[in-house]
Amino acid sequence: MNRQWQPVGEENLFRSDLPAILQVRRPAPLRSTLAVMMVMILGALLGIVSAYVVIERDRPLLPVAIGPWEAYPQAGTRDSDPYSIAIYTRGALVPLASGEGLMLTAYSDSNGRRLDPTCTYTISGQTPTARFWTLTATTASGRLQETYAGRTYVTSDQLLRREDGSFEITAAVRPEPGNWLPLPRYARPRDGLVLTVRLYDAPVTTGGALDGVSMPSITRGLCQ
Amino acid sequence: MMLSRRMSWTIGLLAILAIAGIVHILVILSIPKNVTHSAYATTAKFGPDFQFNILETIRPGEEALPALDPAMTHAACRFQLDQGPVLFTASLPTSFWSIGLFDESGQIIYSLNNRTAGSASLSLLLLSAEQLSILRENPPENLEDLIVIETDRTAGFALLRAYVPNETLAPETAAALLSADCEPLV
Repeated sequence: MNRQWQPVGEENLFRSDLPAILQVRRPAPLRSTLAVMMVMILGALLGIVSAYVVIERDRPLLPVAIGPWEAYPQAGTRDSDPYSIAIYTRGALVPLASGEGLMLTAYSDSNGRRLDPTCTYTISGQTPTARFWTLTATTASGRLQETYAGRTYVTSDQLLRREDGSFEITAAVRPEPGNWLPLPRYARPRDGLVLTVRLYDAPVTTGGALDGVSMPSITRGLCQ
Repeated sequence: MMLSRRMSWTIGLLAILAIAGIVHILVILSIPKNVTHSAYATTAKFGPDFQFNILETIRPGEEALPALDPAMTHAACRFQLDQGPVLFTASLPTSFWSIGLFDESGQIIYSLNNRTAGSASLSLLLLSAEQLSILRENPPENLEDLIVIETDRTAGFALLRAYVPNETLAPETAAALLSADCEPLV
């Protein structure tokens, strides 16, 4: 019998002079189990962390943007994406339904800089048609804070307007002439600032109708 | 067969990403079913079910529910449909009011405001498909004045928003909100 075809023992199975593709790895049960467990744990961790990061934003993923303003007309409906459903349910947020109105939020000014509660902002222009609207200042997490005026909002029916119907609102901590939106009294830059316009009984409650409507611009003034 | 070191690292990374993806999707989809402090659960704190309970005036740091408009006065009513159709009635003297019906997970069932309601007062009947067929056989007398909404949800809450243009109208609005009704139709 040819010596080459003799049955091989284990020592021949793990020969290192064979090409890599033919080599057999020595079984290492502990190492493989550990590797598989590592993969499972890391995978689960990454999945949970990424889900948390997305949900923690407290704002829907795919908004309709009009300048610095973001609207989410599908909020709270069955047409919204799973992320938004999760964000809304987890935050116990009650959306403004389409039959009631439309909510638009601004997280940054017209130049794209994040809003800062210690700065002065001028909000000027026009809003889409609505029976009336309110403008509210909150922190980035959506909380109201104490102001010098006691109120945290302005409403459209108490507004001074120019002849063409456009308006200019000054958002500031201290009282301002004209239309004043009081900002938090003990404002800290890290709390952040969010401006929310709620248009009540507005025809633009569907996403398609939001194309080409004009929203006021937000211009940053002096900062403390 | 022996994998090269780089190959096994690549396979390991791909496995991590695949598992991460599956876990991510499962977490996102399971959140609405496992939330303990949903808006529906929170509305139970304001008062008994089947009754419009006025939410405290929204003051900084004391919001009853997050992201409500501080310019509005709100009243919430929690309901379950297993005791029969629920009838919502309200007559508010304010220039604007609106009502939104939400299910347990906070999804909108139906909404309307005082212009789309078509009359100064609200009368809305919410019922299940089964209750609708019973109602069809034995219609109530005032059916023409009712807005009838059919839903497949079994429980939820209604949020009534009324605009108070100035403080002097607040007591009047509060009284009108208190007289709003949300009762099972027997």
